[in-house]
Amino acid sequence: MPEPAIHLHELCKTYRVPERESGMGAAVKSLFHRRMQDIKAVDGLTFDVAPGEIVGFLGPNGAGKTTTLKMLSGLLHPTGGEGRVLGAIPWQRERAFLRQITLVMGQRNQLVWDIPAADSFELNRAIYRLPAADFRRTLDELTGLLELGPLLKKPVRNLSLGERMKCEIAAALLHRPKVVFLDEPTIGLDVTMQRRIRSFIAEYNRRSGATVLLTSHYMADVEALCKRVIVIHHGRLLFDGDLSALVQKFTAHKTIVVQLEDCQADLHTYGEVLNCEDGRFTLKVPKARTARVTERLLADLPVIDLLVEDPPIEEVIDTVFTQEAG
Amino acid sequence: MNTLRLIYVFFRVSVLNETAYRVNFFIQLFQSLLELGTALAGLAVIFSYTHALGGWRPDEMLALVGVYFLVGGIISLVVQPGMSALIDSVRDGTLDFTLTKPEDAQLLVSIQRVAIWSLLDLLMGLGVLGTALVRLGQSIGAAEAAEFIGMLLAGAVIVYSFWLILASLSFWLVRVENLLEIFQSMYQAGRWPVSLYPGWLRFALTFIVPVAFATSVPAEALTGRLDILTLLGALGLALLLFAVARLVWRLGLRRYSGASA
Amino acid sequence: MSLLLELRGLLKLYAQQFKTTFASMVQYRASLLIWMISQVLEPLVYLIVWSTVSNGSGGSVGGYTARGFAAYYLALMLVNQVTYTWIMWEYEYRVRQGLLSAALLKPVHPIHSDISDNLSSKLITLPILLVIVGILSLIFHPAAATAWWAVLAFLPALALAFLVRFLIEWTLALAAFWTTRVNAINQVYFILMLFLAGQIAPLTLFPRWLQIVADILPFRWMLGFPVELLLGRLTPVQALEGLGAQAAWLILSLVLIRSIWRAGVRVYSAVGA
Repeated sequence: MPEPAIHLHELCKTYRVPERESGMGAAVKSLFHRRMQDIKAVDGLTFDVAPGEIVGFLGPNGAGKTTTLKMLSGLLHPTGGEGRVLGAIPWQRERAFLRQITLVMGQRNQLVWDIPAADSFELNRAIYRLPAADFRRTLDELTGLLELGPLLKKPVRNLSLGERMKCEIAAALLHRPKVVFLDEPTIGLDVTMQRRIRSFIAEYNRRSGATVLLTSHYMADVEALCKRVIVIHHGRLLFDGDLSALVQKFTAHKTIVVQLEDCQADLHTYGEVLNCEDGRFTLKVPKARTARVTERLLADLPVIDLLVEDPPIEEVIDTVFTQEAG
Repeated sequence: MNTLRLIYVFFRVSVLNETAYRVNFFIQLFQSLLELGTALAGLAVIFSYTHALGGWRPDEMLALVGVYFLVGGIISLVVQPGMSALIDSVRDGTLDFTLTKPEDAQLLVSIQRVAIWSLLDLLMGLGVLGTALVRLGQSIGAAEAAEFIGMLLAGAVIVYSFWLILASLSFWLVRVENLLEIFQSMYQAGRWPVSLYPGWLRFALTFIVPVAFATSVPAEALTGRLDILTLLGALGLALLLFAVARLVWRLGLRRYSGASA
Repeated sequence: MSLLLELRGLLKLYAQQFKTTFASMVQYRASLLIWMISQVLEPLVYLIVWSTVSNGSGGSVGGYTARGFAAYYLALMLVNQVTYTWIMWEYEYRVRQGLLSAALLKPVHPIHSDISDNLSSKLITLPILLVIVGILSLIFHPAAATAWWAVLAFLPALALAFLVRFLIEWTLALAAFWTTRVNAINQVYFILMLFLAGQIAPLTLFPRWLQIVADILPFRWMLGFPVELLLGRLTPVQALEGLGAQAAWLILSLVLIRSIWRAGVRVYSAVGA
């Protein structure tokens, strides 16, 4: 087993925030004495990521994903536990370490708004002290993969959201980082652009062997890119393993889609009817009973077609979190 | 050495970009000329009634106006744009990108924005200063020249450090822009020798908002008015303020990253 | 009758607007304070400069002693505080951010909310300024030989100065409809104000020809004239002439504002903001 690219052990981050009460009296009182409240954003996370892996990092809003990414990229100090990225302690912010990682945030720009992306790239080249030949080669490669050609000379403010994101990603990868943190890289993009970014990430990972830790609200991103997912909630680890195992573990149901000749049939005795149109019924059935129900359906009814599926991954994740909350 | 190269690259990028907007150049030229014209016309009105203003002869006042434009040009060229961008980036979180770079973050935020056409103010200041020097003639010796350059550098360091301290307060406070505005509006008082002002105002312009060190003190050095105490004071303050600014910046970063101090 | 109703509606609107803008001005008190620092500092610097000149040339310059200059610039601070607007920046911001469309949809002319905005900000800043002027008076000992009639005439002159300045700056602010480079225009305007309204020096210190220019243009009537009047530096005839000039500019600016506003809105809607 090689040394992990990312290693977390019981990592914790607690924020102290002033407690806010409503009302005028409380506001005046808080001027003199503030009641502080501890919020555990990350509460004892432990996991390893091997070099070259792409791992999906999932959780609802406020689960602690961004906080964890910020600690791993050296932006935040943890309040407890340990973490290593490429063998270094991230929050010591050593230059040698910073040179090997990158952080892309879908909701924020690092490119300077008023100047063309090519110029921002030039600034990054100076900051990372990249030799001209290497820089040229990487830039050509990224330009090819992301089809940046015509975009580079336009001021960033004139680019569309998707074009800007492509340039953001290129800027973040110019120094060929070994570890890439992607925080919602496809947020707000249209479906086509999401797909493009996705296939780029896969291709980049394949070519460079970089380790990728990715958060996304779009399950399509995760399904397409990540064999392994890590799910956290309330700052704690809920699941770490294969995507398919996640589905197995957290769903007690399967969906059966049947196409009948008879459009008027009433199937509610077989299972919960989620949807029916033109004789196409979608049933939700407890996993244990799937085989029996299928058998009965085929025996009782004029079935044209029948399909047993796992529920969509969004739904799985949803149930994970609602179960946790409940 | 790498620092200088980095500054050069940042500078070059803004030059290349701004030269694409030539209209901005002419607008800035127009505005700078107007401002200079106003300053000179103001002096003309005053010197039509007197030979010397608080002991400062017209050519000496001209030198002060030159320094005023020179330092003002430096502020609006790099200091003001960079520090406003710093405040914005703390608020919207884009400072994260700067902090993940393998380079001193203070250096990066300080040179991140260059308002290149403000070079006009700087050049105009140099022009006025040159004219004043020629008219003052032989009275400038090598010692004064050295003192002047030293004081100008000290003034620039003091002003930069002061701005960095104020901008770093954005790690703790919201709406710090207002504080920066105070400096901008008090800077105009630096167009006149601080010795004119009553003690309380002189104190405020020296120690609370250090405008005096930016303009008056270098001009005093040039016109042979500088006493050794002010000279040492300016150098000391420059070093002290720079160290304090670095400290406040570091503390701010610590707060930003949640490292317990 | 309908005019009366209209007026009552407008009055109610002002009262309401007043409450809300007052509340928001309290929110922006830090900005207001900083605005005040720059408003006070500039006349203060000229006060000091001219006092120095006066003391250095035998105690008097152009009829002003050091204490005379103190009176002039402290009065100037007050008049400036009553008459200033920041509408020129405000409009540039509104056009840039596309905030104007909402204002245009309302069934009331947007100038009304601007007026009440302006007045409510002064309600907060004026008391502070009075304290500042009081303190500065203790330091600089202003002296002026004024007359009771001049003080009486000062009040309508101040009101007219406010109206004329407000209308002219509001009209000028509409330049934002046509160009994004409002800053350059504003700068020219403020330099003209500086010289021709009596900010850089009392107008009587200028050469004769410049004084004539200042009499023709509106700037003096927006700032310098009420100050001179209050300090008793004008004869009754000059005071009447001044009030007449103010009235003339008031009428002219009312005419101007109507036509320019219409043209501006047409340009704005043509761009399709």
